[in-house]
Amino acid sequence: MSIYYYLSAFLFCLGLLGTIFKKDLISILLCLELMLGGVALLFILFSKATGFLDSQLLVIFMMIISACEVAIGLSLIIALYRKKQTIYTDDIKIITE
Amino acid sequence: MAIDILLTLLTVVFSLMVVFSKKTVVAAFSLLMTLLVIAMIYFQLGTVFLSAVQVLVNAGAIAILFVFVMMLINLEQFQNNREKSKWKLIVSTLTMLVLLGVFALVINNNIEALSVVNLTDNSMKTLFAKLFDVYYLPFEMATVLLLASIVASIVITSHDKAEKLEEK
Amino acid sequence: MLEAAIEILLKTVVILALPLGALPLIIHVERRGAAFMQKRLGPNRVGPFGLLQPLADVAKFMFKEEVHPTHVKPFFYTAAPVVALVVALLPLACIPVAGPIEAFGRTIFPEVFRSDMGIFFAFAVSALGSYGILLAGWASNNKYSMLGALRACAQMVSYELSLSTSVVAMIFVYGTNDIHQMISSQTGYWFGVIPQWGFFYQPVAAMLFLVGIFAESNRLPFDLAEGESEIVAGYHLEYSSMKFALFFMAEYIHMIALSALFIIMFFGGYSLLPGFDLIAGNNPALIVVLQVASLVIKVALMIWFFVWVRWTLPRFRYDQLMNLGWERLLPLGIANLIVTVLFVYFRNR
Repeated sequence: MSIYYYLSAFLFCLGLLGTIFKKDLISILLCLELMLGGVALLFILFSKATGFLDSQLLVIFMMIISACEVAIGLSLIIALYRKKQTIYTDDIKIITE
Repeated sequence: MAIDILLTLLTVVFSLMVVFSKKTVVAAFSLLMTLLVIAMIYFQLGTVFLSAVQVLVNAGAIAILFVFVMMLINLEQFQNNREKSKWKLIVSTLTMLVLLGVFALVINNNIEALSVVNLTDNSMKTLFAKLFDVYYLPFEMATVLLLASIVASIVITSHDKAEKLEEK
Repeated sequence: MLEAAIEILLKTVVILALPLGALPLIIHVERRGAAFMQKRLGPNRVGPFGLLQPLADVAKFMFKEEVHPTHVKPFFYTAAPVVALVVALLPLACIPVAGPIEAFGRTIFPEVFRSDMGIFFAFAVSALGSYGILLAGWASNNKYSMLGALRACAQMVSYELSLSTSVVAMIFVYGTNDIHQMISSQTGYWFGVIPQWGFFYQPVAAMLFLVGIFAESNRLPFDLAEGESEIVAGYHLEYSSMKFALFFMAEYIHMIALSALFIIMFFGGYSLLPGFDLIAGNNPALIVVLQVASLVIKVALMIWFFVWVRWTLPRFRYDQLMNLGWERLLPLGIANLIVTVLFVYFRNR
């Protein structure tokens, strides 16, 4: 069971790495999901070790929040694509038009 | 124990594919596989309800959204025409390795305290008794948040309204 | 350990063999039913009443040349039919074919995966059903396939919502997630004749669920994913021979699994049909046989209903489909859920 602690740390770091060096917005959102997955796994492991159910409930809240994040993030990406025809972070240099 | 190692290896392989695959659609399907394997890990840890929720919400809804959006905006026209900065990748990988090392040290020092099993009552009934007792208000807030995000994503993506606003 | 492994293996074989073995018969019924409704004869040349026609079809599928288009994405193109079939088979693991059996000194549950939240698991894995279609549409690298896959995916995700509201309403009514408890609370009779099926408690939820399973399994009033007059054949346009057969099987197995879930929640699952309990008496072995027979008869009637609807209703237009899902069924489902919750609350006070 203890191997999963290292796995969750690995998932978090890998997701962070992806969010830093990826160039298109969808990949960045994917890597954010990966980070959230690692943290959720850690919460479940804590619940297993401490016996508190609170951290399992926190995982449910995390799922709700990640659903909101993905919905709004993807719709922002679609709106951006309609306006600028690109989803790359390099092309989006100007905040106002 | 063998199954733990197998699941860990699968997660590692699929999550590496999420970050390092060239095609974004492949990355999205790898993310789906990662989420499914994580659901298996939840099952293996005995938290059956959360594993079902993981399959239903994360794998069944969120990953589908990703694939759907990728197909809508036809990503392939962008692929492989971007120069990549090698230094950025190398430096960020090194940083992440250091961070991972710190995490591993912390886990390693507390491994005995962390690998005990104290979870006894794990049924859906006790879980939800706690959710609707202690976490009642946060749960209601989360539902409002979901509603707000539905409305927000409709408003952001609605085509006609934006065009009408621009005409005015 | 060995005993448990053999038990699981046997259960898996039985639960896979039942729908896969019934598949040729179902396809035959579908074709003969279609012919019956259109005043034709249907396939009647191979064997008595054309019963061997499905076997001939299988032989044809196997020996046909496999056309592998060059413009597809090879790995995903090959993986898609397998994913579709496997995902369609998964919910069957949670469906019990009979009540708990007392044998060899212990209780045997006749489902592969025993859990106290079986219904939840069945819906969680059937939510993955759109991936096979999505993969096929994307990997085929063809505009019609892509359109079909996007349509199918949007449709499945939209109708899953109204379907889930009806499932949640039923979980409230029974007060449990356990399939066996759900079925055992439907075994009684009103006035000695009318069985206490969930359908009579929740007709609105039953209707929502029925519409939902038509949409989820891409069957005819909602088969926009294929829509041959608009987008040629949709997601399986590029597939031929055995690969196409796998999609075909996946569709029918999805249909069987969802009908079985419908029957579990609204028509008493494996509980005996009216009249069967008189035959069964107190013989436990006979009861098990009759329970399996009851489930099979109910599922067969559902399949016939699918065929019936297929040749009765025309295909929906896409905007009509979305309007029906989001503007009619979802508010109806939520209203039904609220009424149910209030009713259960005041009943339990």
